[in-house]
Amino acid sequence: MSVKSATYLVEQRPAPVRGETLIPSGVLGMLIFIFTEVMFFAGLISAHTIVRSQTAGQMWPPYGQPRLPVEQTALNSLALLVSGVVLVLAWFAYKKSAPAARIPLLISILLGVVFIGFQGKEWVALLAEGLTLQSSTYGGFFYLIVGAHGLHAVAALLGLIWSFKQLDQGKLTASQLGTVSAFWYFVVLVWPVLYWKVYL
Amino acid sequence: MSRLTVVVLALVLVAIFPDVAHACPVCFDSSDENRQAFITTTAFLSLLPLGMVGGAGLWIRKRSRELDGNDAE
Repeated sequence: MSVKSATYLVEQRPAPVRGETLIPSGVLGMLIFIFTEVMFFAGLISAHTIVRSQTAGQMWPPYGQPRLPVEQTALNSLALLVSGVVLVLAWFAYKKSAPAARIPLLISILLGVVFIGFQGKEWVALLAEGLTLQSSTYGGFFYLIVGAHGLHAVAALLGLIWSFKQLDQGKLTASQLGTVSAFWYFVVLVWPVLYWKVYL
Repeated sequence: MSRLTVVVLALVLVAIFPDVAHACPVCFDSSDENRQAFITTTAFLSLLPLGMVGGAGLWIRKRSRELDGNDAE
């Protein structure tokens, strides 16, 4: 077969049909990362459960330590949960028409800012009341677990802000929104478990 | 050795040496609360990764079948 006829055959070969993607690469990568993060928080929660069970007289918070603001944080948790629901709406809006996702995405970001802002305010108040990392295992676990969640919330919020910027410029892809949203859903869904174990 | 033989042998060993089979160094604490916490967290940390990987596997299988169904239409 001559080079010319071989080239002809290659050119005439039908292009391979690319099926629908099973799962976008970005989302898969984020899910694998989230698996490791779930185990990280599971380890912290387990350590907290055991230390709490070893506390003398089952007194929690230990004597002399301030009580955590359970009710105010419950309201704040609601803001975070609503933010997650609104992000789901943003996803469906994006699937219909990308610009339609702007408002729900913005609301989700604002609710996230409210959550983080309130957490910061709560920390300032607790520090003023004497609850520090060194004040007791209670304080240590509180700042470690809630702080780790706060860091994740800030990172996920930055991701949401970035995706909003991309959307504004008409450059946001479904894969990018799915990846960032998966991380925010993790932040939202892990919080009720942390609230139950740390605050209640 | 067949799978059935292995299972029977394992059950016999558990029946003869229950202490060895129940080889959890922290499951015999004098405090009930503490013992319960150790058992709960051990089960939690053992089952959680299996649940996550298994769940992801099942979801990918389901999604793959859905896509195969779409291609066939």
